[in-house]
Order: sequence, then C-alpha cells, then structure tokens
Amino acid sequence: MIRTRELTKRYGSILAVDGVSLDVRAGDIYGFLGANGSGKTTTVRMILGLVLATSGEVQLLGQPMPRGGRKALPQVGALVEGPAAYAHLSGRANLALLDAMGAGGVRRTRQGRIDAVLEQVGLAEVGRRPVKAYSLGMRQRLGLGAALLRQPRLLVLDEPTNGLDPQGIREIRELLQHLHANGTTVFLSSHLLAEVEQLCTRVGVLDRGRLVLQEDLADLQAPTGRTVVHTPDYDRAHALLDGRIEQRDGDRLVVRGADPAQLNAMLVSDGIRVTELGPERRTLEQVVLAATDTSSHQVGVTR
Amino acid sequence: MIAVELSKMLRRPRTWVTILLLNALPTLVAVLLAVTDLGPRPGSGPAFLSAVLADGTLFPLAALAIILPLFLPIAVAVFAGDSVAGEAQSGTLRYLLVRPVGRTRLLVAKLVSVIAFVLLAVVIVAATAYVVGSLLLGDQPLAASVSGTTLTPEQVAVRTVLAIGYITLSMLGVASIALLLSTLTDSPLAAALGALAFLIASSLLLTLDAAEVLQPYLPTRYWLSFVDLFRDPIFWRDIVRGIGLQAVYVVVLLGAAWANFTTKDVTS
Amino acid sequence: MSHDGFAVRAWQRWLAVGLGLAILLSLPSVLGALPAADSDVGATELLEQVRDSGEVPFSGYAESVGGLQLPVTRDFTDLVDLFGERSRMRVWWRGSEDWRMDTLSATGETDLFHRAGATLMWDYEDNRATLSSDPDIRLPRTADLLPTELGRRLLSEATAEEVTRIPPIRVAGRDAPGLRLQPADSRTTVDRVDVWVDPQSGLPLRVQVHGVGSDTAALTSTFLELTVAPPSESDTSFITPTGAEFRFEDVIDVAAAADQFAPAVAPDRLAGLDRRTDESTVGALGAYGRGVTLLAAVPIWDEISRPLRDQLEATPGARIDEQGVYVSVGPLGLLLTPGSREQRSWLIAGTVTSQTLADAATDVARIPVADG
Ligand SMILES: Nc1ncnc2c1ncn2[C@@H]1O[C@H](COP(=O)(O)OP(=O)(O)O)[C@@H](O)[C@H]1O
Ligand SMILES: [Mg+2]
Repeated sequence: MIRTRELTKRYGSILAVDGVSLDVRAGDIYGFLGANGSGKTTTVRMILGLVLATSGEVQLLGQPMPRGGRKALPQVGALVEGPAAYAHLSGRANLALLDAMGAGGVRRTRQGRIDAVLEQVGLAEVGRRPVKAYSLGMRQRLGLGAALLRQPRLLVLDEPTNGLDPQGIREIRELLQHLHANGTTVFLSSHLLAEVEQLCTRVGVLDRGRLVLQEDLADLQAPTGRTVVHTPDYDRAHALLDGRIEQRDGDRLVVRGADPAQLNAMLVSDGIRVTELGPERRTLEQVVLAATDTSSHQVGVTR
Repeated sequence: MIAVELSKMLRRPRTWVTILLLNALPTLVAVLLAVTDLGPRPGSGPAFLSAVLADGTLFPLAALAIILPLFLPIAVAVFAGDSVAGEAQSGTLRYLLVRPVGRTRLLVAKLVSVIAFVLLAVVIVAATAYVVGSLLLGDQPLAASVSGTTLTPEQVAVRTVLAIGYITLSMLGVASIALLLSTLTDSPLAAALGALAFLIASSLLLTLDAAEVLQPYLPTRYWLSFVDLFRDPIFWRDIVRGIGLQAVYVVVLLGAAWANFTTKDVTS
Repeated sequence: MSHDGFAVRAWQRWLAVGLGLAILLSLPSVLGALPAADSDVGATELLEQVRDSGEVPFSGYAESVGGLQLPVTRDFTDLVDLFGERSRMRVWWRGSEDWRMDTLSATGETDLFHRAGATLMWDYEDNRATLSSDPDIRLPRTADLLPTELGRRLLSEATAEEVTRIPPIRVAGRDAPGLRLQPADSRTTVDRVDVWVDPQSGLPLRVQVHGVGSDTAALTSTFLELTVAPPSESDTSFITPTGAEFRFEDVIDVAAAADQFAPAVAPDRLAGLDRRTDESTVGALGAYGRGVTLLAAVPIWDEISRPLRDQLEATPGARIDEQGVYVSVGPLGLLLTPGSREQRSWLIAGTVTSQTLADAATDVARIPVADG
C-alpha cells in the first residue's frame, strides 16, 4: 500500500528525513513511532505528495508520488498534523464542500455518506453547528470524518488522537479496529508507545529521521526464551533452580528456559509457592529504547 | 471545482462585509452631495461627480470612479492575497490537495473566484448607486456623453455595462500579484500588503515624469480609461491597451504563481 | 511529462515563465526596431506636399509633449499646460474650415468644433459651450499642436535651401520619410525642426522642435493613430445638449484682449524684423519675423505686468538689467520691459536670441504712450 525507497528530505541544513524505506502492506495497522521532531509528519507529507522529496521514491497504492496522486489519492483518507476546517461553516457544510472538491465525490450519495460518517465519529448531534463552536476533540473527529468520507482503502493518520480525552481515544481506537476489520489498511503515526502497542499489527520506529526498526508487533513481542516467576520462597527456589536464575528483583525471578509449564510443575512438585508465572516477553518500550539507543550510538560514531 | 470555490466565496461573511463597505463610501458621498448641494470644482474630484447633481442616474459611474482608485483594489488585494495563503494558514490547503485537487486547477479556480467577487462587488455598487442617485440626486436627465452628444438611455446602459466589465478586468493585475504573493507566503496579510505596496508604487510612479518609460507597464496606467467609453465616438485605444496590459499581468504573474505553487513544499 | 526529479521540473517551470516574460517585454522594442521603408522623394517635393495638405481629410489620435516650463501667471495657465505637459488629442478633419478636435483629460474633455471662421468650444466639466469667431491674434491652443497644423505652420515659410531629407521612421503604422528644417536666420533659437510626412497624403505625422544647444526636443507632436479618409459630417457637428450653458464670447484670451484694448500700437518693425502681414497690422500686438524666427510684442497694463514681473524675477536663471527682466525657456525667450509713468511695460517674446529681444526692447522704448 505504501512503499518508500531511501526517502530523504532536507530543509536547508536540517536533514528531517534520512533514507527511510517503509513497507506498509495491505491489511496492516501500521504504527509509525517516533519522538517529536523525528520526521513523522514530514514523511507523511511526502507520502501524500504535499512535500517533495529531496531524493528517494514513494509508491502509494502502486502509484509513484506525487505524480500519481490523481489516481492514488482518491482512495486514501488522510489526517495530517491536526484537523482543519472553515470555521464559519458547519461541520456538515465542511464535509460537503470537501467532498465536492476534486474527483470522486459522487453528489448523489453525498448526504448519505456525510450522515454515516458523522455518526461514525460521533458528531451526529453537532453536525449543524459552525466549526468555530467545536472543541479541539470535536475538530479532531471532524477531521477523521473527512478522511473517511469516501470509504478509503488506506487511511493515513498523523497523530490522530492528539487532543482527545481517554474516552475519545478509546472510541477512535475501536473505530479504527472496526474499519480495519472491514478491510481498510491504516497507517498511523504517533509518539505514544502505548497507543501503538494496543492497536497496531506492525511497527516502524523513526529516530531523528532514520527508520531504525520495522517489524510485525507479534515478532517483536515473541517470547524471549525465559520465564518470569514470582515467588515468596526465594531461597528454596534458588536452591532448586541453581544456576538458571538470571535476575532477581524481590519476589520476581527471571529464569532461563522457554517452557513455563514444565517450570511450574517443577516448582510446585517441590512445594515452592508460586504467585505468578509466565513466559517473558519484551515490551515495545524495551524494543524501541534498544533500537534508538543503538542508532544514537551510531550517530555518535559517525559524528 | 470552480463552482465550489464560488460557493465558498459567496458563503463567507467577509465577502458581504467587504461589499457593504465598498457601498458605504459612494452612498456617503451621495448623501453629502444631496444635503449640501456642493458639487466638486470642475476638473477636480472623481470623474462624473460634477454631473450627478443634475442627473442622479449617472451616479453609478461616479460611484465606480470613487471606489476605483483605492477601495476596490484594496478589497481585491485582500481577497486575492487570502486565496491561497488563507487556506495555508487555516490548514485547509493540505486537505484540499490530498483530496486531491490539482494545484494548477486550484490556482485558476482561485483567480476565477476573485474575478467573480470583483464583478459582484462592482455590480452591486453600481446598482446601489443607481437607486441612491435616483432617490437623492438631480432628476433632470443630462444623458450627455463626455463629448457633449446626447445618448439614449439604452446607450447609457450598454456603456455602463461595458464600464463594469472594464473595471472588473482592470483589477486582474492586482489580483494576479496578490495571488502570486499568496503562493509565496503562508500569511494572507503579508500577501495583501505586498500587493498594496505594488499598487501604491504604481500609482506614485504614474505621477512622476521621470518614470515615463515605465508608465505603459504600470498596472494602474489605464484604470481611468473607462471614461473613454463615454466619449463619442467611443475612444477604444486605451481601453484595448488596458485590457491587453491586464492580460499580460495575468499571464506572467499567474505563470510565476503556477511555477512556484506546483513545485513547492506544502508545509502549512 | 518527464520522469525527472522534481527539483528539475521546478527549474524548468521557472525558465518557461522567465522566457515568456522576456518575450513579452521585448515585443514592443522589437516591433519598434523594425526598419521603416524609405521613399525616394526629394526634400522640396516633400515640402510642397506638406504645404498642400491642408484640405486632406483625415481622422486620428495624436499626442504632443512639451518640455517647456513657462514661468507665467494664471492668465496664461493654458499655455503652461500646452508647452509643459502631454496633450492627448483626437481629431476629425474634413477640411481647414470644418474640423473637430478633442483635448482629452482623465475625467473629461475640451472639444473645439471649427466651421467657417467660427469656433465652438465644448467644456464637459464646466458643462458649457462657448462660441467665438476667430480673432486676428490669439494665444496658441492645443489644436495648433496637432502634428499636421504644427508641421504645416513651421514649414510654411521654409525655403528650399533650408530643408533636407532625413531617414524615415514608422509613425502610426506608416513609413514616413523625414524632412529637416534648419533655419538660415542667425537670430533664431530654433536649431532644427524635424517633420516626418505621410508620402501618400503629405500630412505631417510627427514634428520635433529642437532648440539651440539642447539634445532633448523642446516640443514633440506625433500621430499614434491615423485614418486618411473623410470623417462623416456628424463627427464634426455639435448641438449644445439640454441643460448645458451656452455663451458667445468676443475675446477669447489675453492675447486677443491685449490686441484690442492695449494702450499702445505696436510698430511696423522691431529689432530689424518686419511685422507680419498675414495677421492684423493695426492692433496693439505685433508679430514679427519669418519662418521659425518669430517675435511678438505687446504693451500690457500694470495689473497684468506687476504679478508677471514678480513671477519672472523669481524664475531661476532670470536676468535683470535696465532692459527689463529676461527669462529663457528652451528656445523661447521672454523679456518684460520696465514700466514708468511715461512708458508702458512691453512683453516681448519669441524664438529669438536674447540680443534680438534686447534690440526689440530698445525699439519699443521709443514708442510714446497712448492716452487710454
Ligand atoms: N518547513 C520546515 N522547515 C524547516 N524544518 C522543518 C520544516 N518542517 C519540519 N522541519 C524539521 O524537520 C524535523 C522533523 O519534523 P516533523 O516531520 O514535523 O517531525 P514530527 O512530525 O515527527 O514531530 C524537525 O527537526 C523539524 O524542525
Ligand atoms: Mg508531527
């Protein structure tokens, strides 16, 4: 759906995006993670043809961007760096105007689609009020609604939950999951690890303009081959598992061995009390920190 | 696309406030003339104003002459300056472009909507002035051309329509400058002020003998030539040149706006 | 559409715009530089053609530009505009006794309708028509600056020795062979008069007057549009519109007034120049000289001479001595003699050297005051 090759953007002396090769496949919910200023928005703008790459290529739905924008963009819904609307018009009128612009907005179905979208993003009640009377969260929903207006195959969302309350964030997450279930591919940038971890199937991590990691979330979170055990009987466990304990932190032990069931049976049969036990998985946070650490190290070396 | 731009223009409160303000000055002048009965000294003041005390139905022309040098171009500069930069500032530009709307088409649609605004404003000013003039000012029909020949009401009407068309076209130069600046900056105010600076410079150079070589190229050079439509026979020379000059401004400046806008990063 | 990178495309687009601009800007000068075709007509032949062109009917648009800043008072403001500004003129010419000439301004126009010795002036902004019969002597008016009128007048007394051919130029879309008049009289301040002529009709299309010792023309008058065909009768007729003021006027300007009512009579000879006989020889205003060596003298009332003297004395470059105050503007010289109880002030002006003006002042000082 989105494929970039060695995408680079330079603003004067600032290298905002540096050799990024993304690969977003159909059916993904792709989380594009990066700290503030790491180049997420710039990448998204290049993907959409708003910013012209200094070098490298973008393929969007198989079309080279920005030249193929006329073919690709009608099937893409986008939210870039916050929503925007004509403040003196109602939410509804904004959607109607936007739909009438450019190719693809069939007039006959417009009212129906607007109704549906306003319902989807939870603005059905306030659709007729002028946008200047909207809260930030409502505007964010309206922006999302505009992106959904033409039932796109691909959603490109740049920090879509900015400015939303926890309730709103959950609604958006559920909406995206629902859309994803119906076949929409989602590309979502965020600086929030938790958000990506909860929602995405695939992760790309951007650090100071460089893509330092791109993998399926399931692979990142695969078991490490160790098991975590919580037990109040440390001394006995230590005696039993002599040499296999790699780490102790109070009651929490990290034990070498990838088979929790076997370990549990072993401990229990020896009469050792177990309060909690399970395979060790890395958190996304650990993965990201590890990846960005090495990259900053690399940056340090090249400097 | 053009239709959408037009409907956006018509639905903006700003459009109507501007037109209201454009109407205010000629109406004030009409009221003052009616109350004091003091016409301008012949040869001074805006064109046709000395004639309206006798014949109020000529007031549309006087009203156009009143707003032409300053009010109308300021409105045009503000409008055209806002056209792209305003969308950039409010952030809607990026959403238009990913809709997708072609950048060239967007520019053309913006220019068309500015022209439509000027036409709307000029027609409303003329119509209001006709009503105001008929009600407040003199009612002895002069119906004389500038050359002293008598014109039928139909001739006056046709020539007034031509004058409205010419004045609208005369604003194309300012509109194109403001539009170009509007693609260069994300600040509508900067674009409008830049266009106004150009306008003021042009008006100033027009009064300067030393700038004579530049004068045929100044956008304001042929603005007052709409008076030539009321000579008998009509004096077409400057009218044709005025239209040609505006066309050159549109081609060159819109070309520059196109070269810039279609190849620039939209980072707003 | 090319498959190059975008940086290259931006560069190409700006280049296209730049080229378009360059073409548009150079178009007028390229067209202007197109060579004009010459004709093999001789100088005297062309001179004859010009003199005979008075009844050739035509219509057109002309502009004159004067570079003379006349230091005179409000009685002469029209003159200031005439010789110091750009005048825009439309003309319909059916013959020397049936023509119309409009002087255009930004917000109106002043039109002259001339028919059979009478001239009607329509002033739009004053909403007034003024009819007058042409006096013997009057100040110049815009109609005199029309290239045809100006050219014919300046060439009217040129001799065959004084004229030569100069290269052609294009005027009003026509190839116009040129004629140069270099006056033989050493008393004149006019260096040369260049006239370009339509070889078919003999109409002067462009006239340029150069003063002695000046590179820029003192006066230029050019047709920008010209149709050599009779205009219709309705183009040169005028009916005073309803609501406009109509006046009849005997005395149209201060020169005519001075001629009729001034307190002295001009002599027959001044500074060695003969009084012209084509105009009245009995009035107070005397015109002297031949061709472009011209001198005029008029006695004036104190009410007029006092402010005029103040004005002239305040002019930069004014020379004041016992002869009076002398000012020169381009080829034009002005001398105002001092007045006394026995002696009126005389205003002497012309395209002659300061020495000639001084000689004239000496001559008029001998004229006694008439009791008026
Ligand atoms: N228009 C611009 N001009 C110059 N620098 C810019 C511009 N836009 C972004 N940058 C720089 O590029 C880098 C990446 O910015 P951005 O893509 O907005 O990051 P993110 O969206 O990840 O917060 C930042 O260092 C920012 O300062
Ligand atoms: Mg961002």
